[in-house]
Amino acid sequence: MLKLMILKELKSIISSPKFAATFGACSILILLSIFIGINEYQENVKAYDTASQLNNQRLAESLSWHGMSNQIFRKPQVMQILVSGVQNDIGRLSSVGRYEGIKLRRSSYSDDPIFAVFRFIDFAFITQVALSLLAILFTYDAINGERERGTLKLTFANAVPRAKYILAKFLGSTLGLVIPLLIPILIGILLMLLYRVPITGEDWIKISVLLLTSILFFVFFIAAGLMVSAMTRRSSTSFMILLVAWVTMVLIVPRAGVMLAGQLVTIPSVAEIESQQAAYEQSAWDAHYDKMEEARIARRQQMANMTPAEKEAFEEDNMWGWMEEEEASRKKIQGEISDHNKKLNEDHRNRRSEQERLGFSLSRFSPASAYQLACMTLANTNIMLKNSYEDALNQYRDGFLAFTSRKQEENEGTSGIRISIDSETGFSFSGSRGIESLDLSEIPRFDVPRQTLSTIANSTILDVGILLFYTIAAFALGFFAFLRYDVR
Amino acid sequence: MNETLSQIDGSGRQESMLVAAHLSKRYEDGVLALDDLSLAVAPGEIYAMLGGNGAGKTTTINLFLNFIDPTSGQAIVDGIVTHEEPLTARQKIAYVSENVMLYTNFTALQNLDYFARLGGQNDYSKEEYRTALLRVGLQEEAHGKRLRDFSKGMRQKCGIAIAILKDAPAILLDEPTSGLDPKAGLEFISLLDDLRSEGKAILMSTHDIFRAKQIANTIGIMNEGKLVMQKTTEELRGENLEELYVNYMVSGMAVAS
Repeated sequence: MLKLMILKELKSIISSPKFAATFGACSILILLSIFIGINEYQENVKAYDTASQLNNQRLAESLSWHGMSNQIFRKPQVMQILVSGVQNDIGRLSSVGRYEGIKLRRSSYSDDPIFAVFRFIDFAFITQVALSLLAILFTYDAINGERERGTLKLTFANAVPRAKYILAKFLGSTLGLVIPLLIPILIGILLMLLYRVPITGEDWIKISVLLLTSILFFVFFIAAGLMVSAMTRRSSTSFMILLVAWVTMVLIVPRAGVMLAGQLVTIPSVAEIESQQAAYEQSAWDAHYDKMEEARIARRQQMANMTPAEKEAFEEDNMWGWMEEEEASRKKIQGEISDHNKKLNEDHRNRRSEQERLGFSLSRFSPASAYQLACMTLANTNIMLKNSYEDALNQYRDGFLAFTSRKQEENEGTSGIRISIDSETGFSFSGSRGIESLDLSEIPRFDVPRQTLSTIANSTILDVGILLFYTIAAFALGFFAFLRYDVR
Repeated sequence: MNETLSQIDGSGRQESMLVAAHLSKRYEDGVLALDDLSLAVAPGEIYAMLGGNGAGKTTTINLFLNFIDPTSGQAIVDGIVTHEEPLTARQKIAYVSENVMLYTNFTALQNLDYFARLGGQNDYSKEEYRTALLRVGLQEEAHGKRLRDFSKGMRQKCGIAIAILKDAPAILLDEPTSGLDPKAGLEFISLLDDLRSEGKAILMSTHDIFRAKQIANTIGIMNEGKLVMQKTTEELRGENLEELYVNYMVSGMAVAS
């Protein structure tokens, strides 16, 4: 009997006129999003390759290791085709050199702001917005609609257990909606293969988990539709309730959570941090200069009663010590400033993480946020992308600077500019190596920050767990509501 | 009438297929929809419940189907108390409701097939479905059409065919002739006669005094949840049922004996 009712549900969905229209529209959307994603990815790869080549050429033309700076580009990832996340908001390149800090610059959206207006449509977005709405559209009248049409009475005039009926409704709707939607998704993935997108084994695992998570999210809305339908008498009422719930869950809660966190955990702006740093730097140097001045006054007082010859001898004896003292003080101040800046940056980052944590925790009241966060973590296009790149770049910077310093020392005297003073030729400047280029083969390579599968699993399990909880809760509530449902 | 009531109280319970024993239903809002109803329908018998809106006819049928639980008393189908064993009782009942829409995306044949299987009849052939549809007066060209293109009367015929195919010993009909044109109404009466000959116990609620008199073995008039009159067609012979109906509706007299 369960099979009979599941099959009926399947047939009922597939033969309904709204199915052809909505399924067609969703299929086109899914295929289009994957197609656009592939194009975008390939363009990014092309731009990445060209920029890297240009950078190598630029490095090859450098004459000196001294002050050399490298440019590192953020590598496009296959998963961005399905989940673009924040990857278009984050800068695509950073300079790595002695005189500049790490800062990712030139995001896609800063280069092409038109796309920032309505943002990209990717598979995750379609699932989150369009498919969730589709699920509601097919389930809002699952129970109360049957009551209105009289088929619920006709069904329960037979020896049909209620638990079986609601289970068949749930399974039938799930199969009837999930299976047809898998077709465009699989065609989309086939498109990725046809366009020779280099999908690695790890990517396949991520794609599979992404699909399962998307199905889970979709099934949540099926369960929610059934639940509301089993709690109301009229389909017009359940439709309104579900529509309001959808707007709240998909459009409001994710944004409201983050905005509320912004109000609850305030963090100073970058400009504020910079001005604090500058102020500290200024006061530190002022104190340093005051101290030096005091030392000088003290010395002058010490020398006040000395004869010029004694003064000279005294200065001769102590000059080196004074210079060392001043240098030590200067270095100490520099260290203090650097420590202070680091601490401010760290505080800022901690505070930001705290805000993010709170914002995401609040947003997770909506399954739509949990789904989005899970997708972005899976695709490695989440908010951690910036931090992980910056960390990796900072690490690379240390290695790179150490390398260029070592090279510089190795080639000391043979690099830079030599100034000669000769009685016959007068002043002469010469480049030590002529136009011979540097050997770049040993230059450290930047390792793209990678998340291991276990890290990804650890960070997605919470959101997938939340989705699972919401789905089970919605189904359970619907199930028990239906056991007491008045079929008349 | 006395004979049938004695069956309720005594050992005769088994003889009647459908029995309402002192059946009462008070809804949560306090309305007493059914007040101590007792009636019995034997196999091969048609019982017509007449009454205005809110008289308790549909409540009675809902109690037999256990869509609602009785406040007191019992609804019994083939010896099974419906609120104690609803699933077993429902196996014995075929039901036609008023204004059933059925599944409008399915064809008549698909609707029949689904409900027949749901009722435990898995072995019908397509021909048997067609025969059932023809029997209720649905022409062959309509059999493969989706129900969304059907008129109210055609859907009602489909609903009746579903009830026939279940082949249950008891049939409950809630305003079965609503939506049927006079010709179809006439055909339906003849169909009910056939079903009675097959030994089905039929309990129907209706507003249609004329048809009730034409086909029923027993007629009960209900008013405000009470059975105010119950007579066999023999007892009614020579009496003006319409006049009786109006009188009972106005006076609200309960059944005397």
